[in-house]
Amino acid sequence: MSRVRDSATFWAIVGTVGLLGFWESFVRLRNVRKFVLLPPSEIGSTFLETPGFYLDNIWVTARHLVIGLALALTVSLAFGALLAAIRPLEHASQPLLVLILVTPWVAYISSIVLWLGRGTPSILFLVAFVTVPAFVYATVSGMRSADPAARELFASIHASRWEVLWRLRLPSALPSLFTAARFNVGLGLAAAYFAEGAALSTDGLGEAGRRAVAFNDGSILWTTILCTAVLGILGQVGVLMLERWLLHWHASQRRPSR
Amino acid sequence: MTSGNGQGMRARGVSKRFGAIEALSPVDLTVAPGEVVTVLGPSGCGKTTLLRMIAGLEPVSGGSIEIDGDPPDSARERKRFGFVPQSPALLPWRTVEANARLLQDINAGANPSPLPDVVELLEHVGLGDFCGAYPHELSGGMQQRVALVRAFGLGAPYLLMDEPFAALDEITRADMRHLLASLCEPSNTGVLFVTHSLAEAVFLSDRVVVLSSRPGRTVGVVDVDLPRPRVPELEDEPAFFAIETELRRLLHHGAGR
Repeated sequence: MSRVRDSATFWAIVGTVGLLGFWESFVRLRNVRKFVLLPPSEIGSTFLETPGFYLDNIWVTARHLVIGLALALTVSLAFGALLAAIRPLEHASQPLLVLILVTPWVAYISSIVLWLGRGTPSILFLVAFVTVPAFVYATVSGMRSADPAARELFASIHASRWEVLWRLRLPSALPSLFTAARFNVGLGLAAAYFAEGAALSTDGLGEAGRRAVAFNDGSILWTTILCTAVLGILGQVGVLMLERWLLHWHASQRRPSR
Repeated sequence: MTSGNGQGMRARGVSKRFGAIEALSPVDLTVAPGEVVTVLGPSGCGKTTLLRMIAGLEPVSGGSIEIDGDPPDSARERKRFGFVPQSPALLPWRTVEANARLLQDINAGANPSPLPDVVELLEHVGLGDFCGAYPHELSGGMQQRVALVRAFGLGAPYLLMDEPFAALDEITRADMRHLLASLCEPSNTGVLFVTHSLAEAVFLSDRVVVLSSRPGRTVGVVDVDLPRPRVPELEDEPAFFAIETELRRLLHHGAGR
């Protein structure tokens, strides 16, 4: 029994059931309007009326999110490796990275759509664009954190730049890259949802949500919102599982000994 | 294991300045192939700097260095020496065996042939059952044993060791110097060993170079004619104490006391 009470999964389920119960009773007792907040039971039944519609849109948004993040990661690794090697360049790039980080994308999305056209290109660009800074910071600080004694060891047998990058700096950057990835899944999902609604695309959760608002349909809106949240949770779980697998050697992944 | 072509590692009048500070006065040093030479000195005497200059990790301020006739940089390119840093510097994402193989994997074009068998070496140091383990699962002494195997696995004619046992407790240190002697003796590897431990200097070396405190200069060179193979019992012999005493006297002399 004490094993069950110590189990993280057990308490997560308790929390979820509690939250759903509170949500359902709050909406019903206070008689909250549909558009403001829909009870979970009605979200479930709305979903089951047209599950294909929601699953298709989840799939589209998931693709936008994953491809956008992959693009951002690729650019960030190349850019970050360069910045980690050349300090003046790192300082020079700070204004750009901070600018990307602080400027609300709501403000410039229409310019992106004007530039890249409606639909997928604009959406992928926005997801990648807003997630680049966190990945770049993680790459630079992670690569710098490589053990100095190991760097000397590599130098003592004339390791090439590529060998140092691939066999030492990149693995050293993995822990901070995963921290950035967890942050970026949330950020990228918000950007994908917003861009889908704003980029005149024809599908995706963001577009489904925009249309629900336009047609004043609270049931579809809240079902779409919950689907987006579920996608976000799946993204986090995906990152976590990848982390368990790739970072099994890292202190953060070790089970506490009792 | 490849051996040197007879010229050995040679430092002639090597000195080092850091800005206005003189860290090392001109020092001469030779390590013949198969010979174990220890540089003994107090903290901050420049002995680690000397080792790093020979490894080509630090530029010299004066003098010249040759490893079998080559400057350090080309000796590095041709993997002519293995470097053992103060900390084990194992890569946490590699298993013990993969860590032991690390120096073979990098700059692989310069590997000698045949390469030493890393697994056999791991078995020799008592880590045969830990090939698949990760560094965080090992004790400090075990990690340093992997670092030794990693250096010997290179199959280079020379090894440069920078106080590799400094962070270990006294009991483990003794085990480690006995183990290191057992690795060195059959391999005909020339070793330059830096330490501030008298016992390590006497037990391991053919010759001990004693440096003064900063700026380091040679205050004496002591030949250690204890019989080989060196066995742990040797540390209880009067001859062992006699050399230790002589080294201690030189160290005090070098400290100006």
